[in-house]
Amino acid sequence: MLSFVLRRLGQSGVLVLIMSILVFVGMYVVSDPVAVLASDDFTEEDRIALASELGVDRPLMVQYFSFLSNMVRGDFGTSFVYNKPVLPLIVERLPATLEVAFLAIGIGLCVGVPLGIYSGLNRKRKSTKTISFLTTVGYSIPNFWQALLLILVFAVWLKVLPASGRGDTTMLFGIELSFFNVDGLRHMLLPAINLAIYKICMQTRLARSGTQEVMFQDYMTFARAKGIPRPRLIRRHLLRNIMIPIVTITGLELGGLIAFSTVTETVFSWPGIGKLLLDSIHHADRPVVVAYLILIVMMFVVINFVVDVLYALLDPRIRYT
Amino acid sequence: MNNLITVNDLTIAYPMSDGEIFRALNNISVEVNRGQIVGVVGESGAGKSTIGKTALGLLDENAIIEGGSVSLEGEKISNLSEAGFAPIRGKRIGYIYQNPMTALNPVLTIGEQLLETIEAHTDKRGNAAKAYAIELLEQAEVPEAEDRLSKYPHQLSGGLCQRIVFAIAICARPDLIIADEPTTALDVTVQKAVLDTLKKLAKQDNIAIILITHDMGVVAEMCDYVYVLRYGGMVEHGPTEQVLAHPSKDYSRELMAAIPRIDKKVDRFAVPGGMGKSADRDRALAFLLRREDRNVIVDDKPLLTARNLSKTFVTPATVVSAEKVFKAVDDVSFDVSHGETLGIVGESGSGKSTVGRMVLGLHQPDEGYELTYRAQDLSSLKSRAERLALSKSMQCIFQDPYSSLNPRMSAGENITHAIKAHGTVGRTEAHELAGDLMELVGLPRGNVRKMPHAFSGGERQRIGIARALSFRPDFLFCDEPTSALDVTVQAELLNLMKDLQSTLGLTMLFVSHDLAVVRQMCDRVLVMKAGQVVESGDCDKVLVDPDHPYTQGLLQAMPRFSFDMG
Repeated sequence: MLSFVLRRLGQSGVLVLIMSILVFVGMYVVSDPVAVLASDDFTEEDRIALASELGVDRPLMVQYFSFLSNMVRGDFGTSFVYNKPVLPLIVERLPATLEVAFLAIGIGLCVGVPLGIYSGLNRKRKSTKTISFLTTVGYSIPNFWQALLLILVFAVWLKVLPASGRGDTTMLFGIELSFFNVDGLRHMLLPAINLAIYKICMQTRLARSGTQEVMFQDYMTFARAKGIPRPRLIRRHLLRNIMIPIVTITGLELGGLIAFSTVTETVFSWPGIGKLLLDSIHHADRPVVVAYLILIVMMFVVINFVVDVLYALLDPRIRYT
Repeated sequence: MNNLITVNDLTIAYPMSDGEIFRALNNISVEVNRGQIVGVVGESGAGKSTIGKTALGLLDENAIIEGGSVSLEGEKISNLSEAGFAPIRGKRIGYIYQNPMTALNPVLTIGEQLLETIEAHTDKRGNAAKAYAIELLEQAEVPEAEDRLSKYPHQLSGGLCQRIVFAIAICARPDLIIADEPTTALDVTVQKAVLDTLKKLAKQDNIAIILITHDMGVVAEMCDYVYVLRYGGMVEHGPTEQVLAHPSKDYSRELMAAIPRIDKKVDRFAVPGGMGKSADRDRALAFLLRREDRNVIVDDKPLLTARNLSKTFVTPATVVSAEKVFKAVDDVSFDVSHGETLGIVGESGSGKSTVGRMVLGLHQPDEGYELTYRAQDLSSLKSRAERLALSKSMQCIFQDPYSSLNPRMSAGENITHAIKAHGTVGRTEAHELAGDLMELVGLPRGNVRKMPHAFSGGERQRIGIARALSFRPDFLFCDEPTSALDVTVQAELLNLMKDLQSTLGLTMLFVSHDLAVVRQMCDRVLVMKAGQVVESGDCDKVLVDPDHPYTQGLLQAMPRFSFDMG
């Protein structure tokens, strides 16, 4: 156990290092912060002064190593644009993104898994064909287009849900949250549904193929033969077994949602980190982009670790081998 | 109406994708009385399991009951709905599944799986239910019963799992238990103990048993009455002794003759089938005998010498478990002489296949070993040409004829793919040769272009043999070559392998768990247990009058097919 954790940590350290080099060099090549930040009336001297103030006048290697040594001390640098330390900037935006991501994953699981089990159990029904058709549609329509349709239907025509912004929030342990606030929840619903549609389709398909596979296993036939009532058969024997792949995929998807829900946050003007990332790339705000991506790498490492532990909890064969 | 269960003229049909209808059962009638143990025997595809599944409403969705019925105490049950079967399943008819390792849900504890059955069929709850669960496990002779409740199936052996399945099956004291190949997945010593328990349980509660099996030895020991099925039809039925000792139909006679016997060695099994057209066969033999100066016998030393073979497997640590070391083979040494067949027997996990795999170089043995083949130290081979010559000379026939052929290549390509790659033969020549080799192993050459899925298990194994032969090997490692096959198919294949060996002068290392098969095929034998050789010597000695208690135990546990046949 301990050696496994240590090895995992070592691997993620290497991963973070590679990621930082890639992003650092990439941002250096494609953008010039001085050109973006300088106003039109800047003289050559002003530009040089700005460059040295930002630290971008030094050679790339020197910049990278000073960044690296600062990072080891927990200092991710200062944003070029906001002129504030990067870490608080990101952390401040994180709750908004996390809330929507968790809500979307929750909707995906609560709707997708039952639908999938239903279609796996009743393969020949008409309703199963309808579900299968709808999931294909949900998969194929681009995310931003779904977002526009949602706004059109719920905000413009029906006028039941707000189309943009975060609405009122409640302070809890010093964090602003929308979850405990009716107005906040209303604002959160459309972006969450937008993100959830794809997840619902995916979970439905996963649960359906899992159900079809598990239902043909000997232990399911044997459980029927020993006279176990059907509700229990599905709840204990089936669900437990199909959850194993679902947990794995859900973990990866959660990471993806937190890291890259940029499009949805932009369409709904949701003040999350996705939007921050987009703005920062736009403004060549290298410290923010680098720090953001490194945090994302760490987050994936943590999520994968949690998935591994859950996996072992669900499947005793892994626990006791 | 004093029969407990009556299967009357039952016909079960499956619509096939090509519009044809496949009849899994055709006008089958079976009667079972209270407390009786009735055997249903037949080879795969005979429809034996379908009878049990119909009685419990477990048929696949697309199955159609075309005619006939199943009645339990005079009451028709074959047309009930899923809900209608609820008061029957587990309560009046218990079911025992073929493979105990897959019959139990891998993610639920033994306790939960036992308690849910108790709660479904009795009004015992809580501590009373738990006490009853322990009582059931004790009746099924599960040691340390209370401890087992918190265990998961994979933590227990196959034999223990099957006993737990027994405990589940007798939980509601049913009138009938349908046991579908209850011991096929178990080792022979475990099988005997498990069958004894089953017999005891049946007697104790006067439970009738329908025992579905392909193993005549099991039938001989367990059953009062037996039904013989083939291709869904009834061949014959009668009291066990009469059917087994004096079968009245050709098929039953053939079936009995195909069973390998431990007590005497025969030259050939009395079953039809053999090699194909003589012209093609002679061409194939001519090709195979044209071995490149490889039949030079070096002195009179053994062809293969193995000394101090050991193999340790290491499972790396994961998130929840530490590194594990398992010694599969522990210091095994043996010689194989020219033209000889050396058998290795042992129960599952004894390391017998690993020995063969190390000889072929598929596993790297632990340090300190010595492998000599044709007076050449195998670990000293460096050049590609030397290694290639070695792998051509040593070939393998695998256990599973389904996964050992490439499903995307035709039978002919499977046979000659490798020798074409080696440049032994050209393309047109290869096609010709594939046909000849197929005739040699008893398959019509017209099947060269068919894909593996179009062949039966036995036919695929013949293709596997043809592929191994195409290299013109001197040495064949046969890893349980017939354990996945029916007994008549096994007899045909063993005949074929004997014929090929005597014609081609092959040397064989023959791994099997079946003592009777080894007795029929091998000259000498190694008996392995937990990675070590416990006894070795001539088959006529070791498998007749063994010295080691382990071998004695194995022999005693074998179900005896003891009726003398005229």
